[in-house]
Order: sequence, then C-alpha cells, then structure tokens
Amino acid sequence: MSRTAFCTLFLAVLIIGLAFRLGRLDLRPMHHDEANEAIKFGVLLETGEYHYDKNDHHGPTLYYLTLPSAWARGQKSLAALDEWTLRVVPAAFGLGTILLLAFVAKGLGREAAVLSALFVALSPVLTYYSRFYIQESLFAFFALGFLITLGRYALRPHAGSALAAGIFAGLVYATKETSIIIFAAAGAGCVLALVSTRRICRLTHEQERKGGKWDADAGRVRRRTAHALTGLSGAVFIAVIFYSSFFRYPGEILESVRAFQGYAVRGAEPGFHAHPWHYYAQMLAFSRSGGLVWTEGMVLALALIGMGFAFKNAHAKTEPNPASAGQRFWPRYLCFYSLLAAVIFSVIRYKTPWNVLPFHIGFILLAGWGAAELLKRAWSSLGRKLLLILLLAGCCHLGIQNWNANYRYPADPRNPFVYAQTSPDFLRLVKRIHDLSAVHPEGVDMLIKVVAAPYEQWPLPWYLRNLRRVGYWIDAAGAGGFDGVPVIIASQENAGVLESVLGDRFQAEFYGLRPDVILTVFIDRSLWERFLRER
Amino acid sequence: MKYTKMKRTDTARNAVAVFLSWIVAVGAPVFCQQDPNKEELKLQLPKPMFIGTPSNIKSPNLEAVTGKPRGPFYVPKGTRLLSLNKRVTSSDMQPIIGELGFVTDGEKSGEDGYFVELGPGKQWVQVDLGSSCALHAILVWHYHSQARVYRDVIVQVSDDKDFLRGVATVFNSDHDNSSGLGIGKDKEYVETREGRLIDPKGVKGRYVRLYSDGNTANDLNHYVEVEIYGTPSK
Repeated sequence: MSRTAFCTLFLAVLIIGLAFRLGRLDLRPMHHDEANEAIKFGVLLETGEYHYDKNDHHGPTLYYLTLPSAWARGQKSLAALDEWTLRVVPAAFGLGTILLLAFVAKGLGREAAVLSALFVALSPVLTYYSRFYIQESLFAFFALGFLITLGRYALRPHAGSALAAGIFAGLVYATKETSIIIFAAAGAGCVLALVSTRRICRLTHEQERKGGKWDADAGRVRRRTAHALTGLSGAVFIAVIFYSSFFRYPGEILESVRAFQGYAVRGAEPGFHAHPWHYYAQMLAFSRSGGLVWTEGMVLALALIGMGFAFKNAHAKTEPNPASAGQRFWPRYLCFYSLLAAVIFSVIRYKTPWNVLPFHIGFILLAGWGAAELLKRAWSSLGRKLLLILLLAGCCHLGIQNWNANYRYPADPRNPFVYAQTSPDFLRLVKRIHDLSAVHPEGVDMLIKVVAAPYEQWPLPWYLRNLRRVGYWIDAAGAGGFDGVPVIIASQENAGVLESVLGDRFQAEFYGLRPDVILTVFIDRSLWERFLRER
Repeated sequence: MKYTKMKRTDTARNAVAVFLSWIVAVGAPVFCQQDPNKEELKLQLPKPMFIGTPSNIKSPNLEAVTGKPRGPFYVPKGTRLLSLNKRVTSSDMQPIIGELGFVTDGEKSGEDGYFVELGPGKQWVQVDLGSSCALHAILVWHYHSQARVYRDVIVQVSDDKDFLRGVATVFNSDHDNSSGLGIGKDKEYVETREGRLIDPKGVKGRYVRLYSDGNTANDLNHYVEVEIYGTPSK
C-alpha cells in the first residue's frame, strides 16, 4: 500500500470513528459512575482542588484532562457543565486510540494498521465506552501507547522510545489501579515475544551493528541502564505530577500505592460485580437478549487467524532486517499481551464490561494483522476479492451493531455493554422536578429532600445540580420533618414509611432508576395542582 | 392457664376464619354470577418468564402486585375472541423488532421472537375488527419477560379509524395528561404473564387503539399480544 493510499484510508477511518463517537453525546442518561466522576470534576473546576481517594474514583487523569474541555466551552462551574463537555473527553481519547494505530504501520504493515483502525472505529464496545465519562477510554489509549512504545523500544532500544514508554506508563498508572495488570501483561508479553523471535532479532541487531548503526557492545549495559532510568523517571514524574495535584499534596503519591491493597480485596470479594470467568469472552463473542443479538465474533475470529499466522513457520529462515524482525515480533508480542491480559482480567472475579477495553484493543490489532495476512496470502485475485467482500460485509455488520449499541439501545438492558445503567425513565423524573421548580414560588430554591441509600441517590446530584436546596439522607428518620417540603424523592425502602407519614397530602409518582430499582416522588398536592394548571 | 385460654380463643377464631374463607371461595363465583346471561371468560395464559413478584416495585400510583392469580371475569354469553389475525396498524409502521401482525397472531409467549418493538416515545397500535362490535374484554400483554411498567397506557374504542369522532376511552393510566388525551384515573401496573384485563363495559366500536409511552426499563414500546373479546354485530 502506498503512503498516499495509507494516509487517505486512515483519514477515512478516522472520520468514521469520529462520526460514531461524537454524535449525540447526551443521548444516554448519565450512569451513576459518570455522575460521580462529574461531581468530582466539578469540585476541581470550581475550586482547583483534587484529592486522590484510594477507595474510589480511580486516578486523577480524567479530571485534569477534562479541564481543557470545560475551559474551551467557557464553563466555570458544576452547574454550567453538560454531558457534551464531559463525554467529549473519552470520545477524544477514543479517536486518539485510532490515531495511535498509525504508529504500528511500520511493524505490522500499513494494511494491518488501516484494518485495525477500521475495526477499532467500528467496534461497538470501544465506541460505547468512548462515549462514557469514566476512565476507561483514557486507560485504553494510554495502555495502547505504552504497548506500542515498549514494543518499539524492545525492537530498537533508544532513549527516546524509553522515555515515551515511561511517560505512557506514568499515564496508565495515573489513570487506573488496574495498570498493574497492563504492566505485567505487556512486560511478560514483550519478553516472551523477544525470546520467541530471538534468532531473527539477534541477527538483525548484529547486522545493524556491523553496518555501524549501533555502538560497540562495550557500552550496551550502560546504555540499557540509562534507558531504564530515563523510562522510569518519565513514569514517576508523570505519576507524581498527577497524584500530588501538581506537587500540592505529595503525600497522596503514597496513597496511590496503598490503593492496591483495597483493590486486591475488592477483586477477591466482588459482591454485585462477581461474574463467571467467561464473562468477557461471552460478551465479545456472542450474546443474545430480548430479540437482539450482539457479536464481535468476526474480530475475534480474525484475531485467532492472526495468532495462527504469528506462530506459523516459526523456524523458517528469514532475511534478517528490521522489517522482518518487526513482522515476527509484533504479532507475537500482541498475541502474548492480549492473551495474558484477557486471562488475568477473566480470572479476577470482580468484572465490569468496560474492563475488556485494554485487552480487546490487542485482539483488534491482531485481527487487523490477521485480515491483512489473509488478503496477502489469498490463493488468487478472485479469492482476494471474495475476502474483501466478506470483510466489508463484516464491517457493515459491526457498524450496524455500533449504531444499535450507541444510538438505538444505549440504555437498554438488552445491550450487553449496559451495566447498572440509569433508565431513560429516570429522565422523566428529572424533567418533573425541574418543571415543578419552575412553577414553585421559590424556583431553583425549592426544597427537595432525597431519602434513599447512596446507591439509589446517584445520579441525582448531577441532574439536580442547578437546584440549590437539595438535601440527601439515607433514611426517613434522619431526614427530619416533612412539613412544608414540596418535593420528596424516596427509594422503595423509604417510600412505605413516608407514605404513612405523609398521608394523602402528597401526589405520588414512581420512576425507574435502574432495572428493578424504583424511586417514588412525593409532590405536595397544592404544588401538583398548580403544575397541572400551568403546564 | 392463660396460655391455654389464649390458645383456645385463637383456635376458635381460626376455625371461624377458615369457615368464612371457604364460604367466600366456594360461594363467590356462585353469588357473583347471578346474571344467567353471563359466563366466565376462559383465557389461555402464557408461561411465566420471571419467578416471584417484583417486590421492589410498589408505589401509591401503582397497582399492588399480589402474585396471586386474577379472579374469574364474566362476560355475556356468546362473547368470543374477535381480534385473532385481524389487521393491525400503528403510529410506527416499521417496527424495530418483529412485525405488527404479532399483536393479533395468538402467540403470547414472552420469549424472543414473539413481540413487536415500536420506536421511542408515545406510540400506538390499532386493531381493526372489521365491523363494529360490542366489546366485553380487552387483554394486553406488552412485554412480560421482565417486571416493568409501561407509561401512559391508554385504550380507546371508536368506529372512526382516525379516532377523531366517537372515541370512548376504556382505560387511561396517564395521571398527568402527558399524552394529551386527558387525565386518567386508572393505576399503572406491572407487566405479568396474566396480561392486563380491561373491561370496556360493552362499548361498541370497530377499531381499538392502544397507546403507550415507553416503560420503566427503556423508552421503547412493545406488544406481545392484544386480545379483544366481544359479541359481533348481527
């Protein structure tokens, strides 16, 4: 593939990725995790304060990297924020993930890079979590950056690539505690790939050395030590900057290390998040619910083919040169990394669907390479054309699923990527509260009491951020009296108690918060009647 | 001594309670069906898709879920199913999943492949009975494989296919008039395999239109089956 064709096709793929990621970012109701992150970001935006919480919320990169988005849109407070400002950040990193694939063109080939980028652009799961204001899209981007830079360093040790790998490692660490899995899988994958391709890598290195491209062996250990220190410094510097809130709270760097203990316990005692070992595999391969079928089976099948090609003719003699060394190293490296990361994530009992991102990226790269190799090795031009048609049909299918997952069923429990998602019905509650405050004499100062356990309160704090007098209690006893309170929002547990206390002075309505979780809204009858009159 | 006395009193009270329940259980169908021109409507229900009652869903504006079977329903003799395989039209003529024909095909299973899924927001389906009939029971199953509540369920009957004239509303759970068809006094209800039985009280009409506006799980609208019972015009 010519350079021009590569650039043109890559640009087209970027546009596809952009269209899927940026369209109607406010369509899906805010998930409670997104709302939680949004409130934490709101504090940073309004006060400039950020404190790492080792028990929750993950690392700080998401919040700091959302600041430019809010500044660009001129939003200076939590109340001024909207879904677009927040979700454009993961969407941008989702696009960045596609862009990063351009850097594997040298190792895997341009065809493989374009095909991988296309699969990423169309992937329903990657797109879904690129439109989700949590750390995952950033984490996948940084993890891929680390994977690529580490691989480039392994093939051709250089201070620049060591520093780049270090910076990406620091960003991965500053994003999520599961970074440790990425480091382990990428490190082990890199070593295994180097060992399995040592003959050709060694011959290539020797040839380059003879050609005067490298210095003599004498300085090798010293150079490698310097590279390691450079990489490590980059990683530590980035981690320190973020966790210490730009050196304001140095003590919180240690908190990020202490966090591993808590997350280890959570991994072993997952509670609600306990899922079987095949949860991720099944979600990606095939799932069916309520008349809807979901599969990224084509990508997984191509990844398997890629794995097969990666180890085929392992002992065949190849002319030692950087290109052939890369052709051998990269598929194996990706194969080892993806499998190791997938196994580690699958073994941990605590599972959430967004955890597939860092290893699914690896499978997609392998799929792109597998598809490119298939086309290259096709038995005839007719065979190549048939393969292209099949690939095109598979891509169309991915595109349709992407549309369904992100635009038609973004909050539907039948969508396998929907996880404890806020129901669209909840938006009716939000609208009702705002409509009531519009007809209430006190307007945005209308008093609202929320009586629900924390899990049932979210994402209310996000949606009611413009109202100034909203109080939250976990039970009715602690909420004080209800005389003169025009609106009460209660969980089912508390609604029964409130019903007997409030009598028929209130109009009651109920709204779905999440599957099988209902909130009851009690509205003072005089306010209700005014609302009906004035609507 | 005190214990014995209490025990005796309780036993007597229990015996009276059991006797009265027996009288009610055996006698109710007899006494209630005093009208010799009526008979019990025999219904075939689909198998349940979820076990137990959705205990978390209860609200003053929501019909209580008892988990017990619905009692007998009596209709005039000669009442029969009028809607089977009758033509169905909709505000969404290109459903997302399934076909409009599913609404009256007699299949009530809650499994995949038996329901039609209409677009988001307020939507309706309309059954054309072919001629104006006196209606005595309407049964609707929206989606009974999950405990959910459909919003603003409104059922209307008319002889006008456009529902502009002579419209009778036989069920309306839109308590805030968000659908713009008037405030309804009927309570919302949780979908179960029993479906929702609506009593049209003999109202006459050729067309039956059923509205809904999403549900507590998503903003889409579904129908597994609609059964309309009545006496055909002579």
